[in-house]
Amino acid sequence: MTTTYVRLSAILMKDYKLASDRLALDAPLEGLGIDSLGTVELLWHIEDAFRIKLPPEPVALLTLGDVVRYIDELVASQPAERVAAPPGEPAFRA
Amino acid sequence: MRRVAVSGMGVISPLGNSAAQVLAHARAGRSGVRRLVTPFANRLTAPMAATASFDDVVCLEPGNARMLDRFSMLALIAANQAVQGSHGALEDVDRTRAGVFIGTGMGGTLTMDSGYQTLYGEQSDRIKPFTILMGMHNAAAAWIGIEHDLRGPNMTYSTACSSSTVAIGEAWMRVACGQLDVAIAGGSEAPLSPGSMKAWEALHTVATMDIDDPSASCRPFSKNRTGMVLGEGAAMLVIEPWDRAVARGADILGEVLGYGQSNDASHITRPSVEGQAAAMRAALDVANIEPQAVDAINAHGTGTQANDRTETAAIRSVFGNLADRIPVSATKAMHGHLLGAAGALECVLSLLALRHRVAFPTVHLQVPDPECDLDYVNNRAREGFDAQVMLCNSFAFGGTNAVLVLRQAR
Repeated sequence: MTTTYVRLSAILMKDYKLASDRLALDAPLEGLGIDSLGTVELLWHIEDAFRIKLPPEPVALLTLGDVVRYIDELVASQPAERVAAPPGEPAFRA
Repeated sequence: MRRVAVSGMGVISPLGNSAAQVLAHARAGRSGVRRLVTPFANRLTAPMAATASFDDVVCLEPGNARMLDRFSMLALIAANQAVQGSHGALEDVDRTRAGVFIGTGMGGTLTMDSGYQTLYGEQSDRIKPFTILMGMHNAAAAWIGIEHDLRGPNMTYSTACSSSTVAIGEAWMRVACGQLDVAIAGGSEAPLSPGSMKAWEALHTVATMDIDDPSASCRPFSKNRTGMVLGEGAAMLVIEPWDRAVARGADILGEVLGYGQSNDASHITRPSVEGQAAAMRAALDVANIEPQAVDAINAHGTGTQANDRTETAAIRSVFGNLADRIPVSATKAMHGHLLGAAGALECVLSLLALRHRVAFPTVHLQVPDPECDLDYVNNRAREGFDAQVMLCNSFAFGGTNAVLVLRQAR
C-alpha cells in the first residue's frame, strides 16, 4: 500500500463519498462513477493535493492503480519543491 | 387543443420544501426573508435574502453530483419531488414525447462567480474543470432529462424574471397541441453569490433593509416600498393531457388553461402598462375566457415603486371596474424574488390557493398608496376564498411579459 494510494483514497472517500471497500488498485475508474470527464476533475484535485503540475497532453487512466503510477511518475520527475506535503497532511483545497 | 392537467408539483423554497409547507407558511403570512449570514455580508448594503435550505441527497453517482451547481441541485430535487408526487406520470410514456422546460435567469452564477474569484481575486489560473458544465443555463434541464430519461424537447428559457412562467407556458402549448404527452416544467435560481448580489445592489432595485425586522423589508404595493429582496429556490410541475391524468387515476392539482405573452419593446427595465396589459389580454384570449371569469391574481408584485404602480394600472386597464372585486396577492413579500424561478413558485402557490380555497396575503403592506388601489389581501390570508380561475403574472427586465391562466381542478 503506497503513500500515494493512501492519499488518493483519502481524496476519493472525502470528496467523492466513495466507501473504502470499493477502492482497490485494480478498481476501474468507470466503476467508481469517474468517467473520462470525471478523471479530468480528479486530476485537477490531484494537482493541488500532490503539488504537481500536470502536462497538457491527455493521458489514458483506467484504474486507480494507473492514477497512482501517473502521480508517482510526475512527482519523481518534478522539482522537489512541488513534491507532496507529508502523509496525513494532504493539501486539500476544495 | 387538449386540456392540460397539473399532476405533480415540487418545491424547494424560502417558504419550505414541499407543497404542504409552502401552503402553511403562505397562509400564515410568514416571511422567508432573513438577514444573510455569509462571509461577504459586510460588503452588502442590505445583507438579506430569502434563502432555501435542504438536506435532500440527489441520488446520482458522486462523480455526477459533483457537476451540479446549486441551481441544478435545487431544480433536480424539486423535479424529483414533482415526479414522485405525480404517482406515475412518467410511466408507460413514449420517452420521445416527454419534455423538460426550465426557466432560469442567472443559471449557474454561483459557479461562475467562484471561477472569477479564482481568476481575478486570487490571481490563479486554476479554474475548476466543471465550471462550464455547472455554469451553463441549460444544466438544470439537462440533468432532469438525464435523471428521468426524458428524450423529447429539453428547453431552457432565460427571459429574466418571467423565465419560468415562459417555461411553463411553452410546455403547456406543446402538451395542449398534442406534441408531448408529459412535461416537467418550472424554474430554478440560486443567485446569492457576492458578484450577483452586488450587481443587483448596483442597479438600485434592492429594498432597504428593515433594521428592526429584516423579514419585513419587501413591501409590495405599500407606499413605503423600497424594492425587491433576492431569493433562491426551485419549483417544478408535472403536466400532462387531462384525459391521460384522469385515465390513470391521478390526483389532479389544477389545470393550465392558457398562457399569454407580450414584449414591451420600449425600455430595458421600465415596465409598461401597455405591455403588461397586453400579456394579460393575450392569456385570456388563449384561455378563451372573459375578464369576468378571473377570480384572483397572483401579482408580479416585486415591491419596486415602478412595477407595483404599473401593474396596478395594467390590471385596471384589463379588468376595468371588475378589478375592484379581484383579490391580488403579492407573495414575493414572503418568498423574495426568485428571478427566473419566481413565476414557477408563484404558479405553485396559485395552484395551492385554488385547491385549498384561500387567497394568500400581501404581507408588510403598511401604508396605502393612492396609485395602488386594488384589493391586495392586505396582511392576512382570506380563508374560504373559492376562486375557480387565477392569473399568474410575471414581468421581466427586457420586457418579456408572461401570464398563466390556471383553473381549479374540476
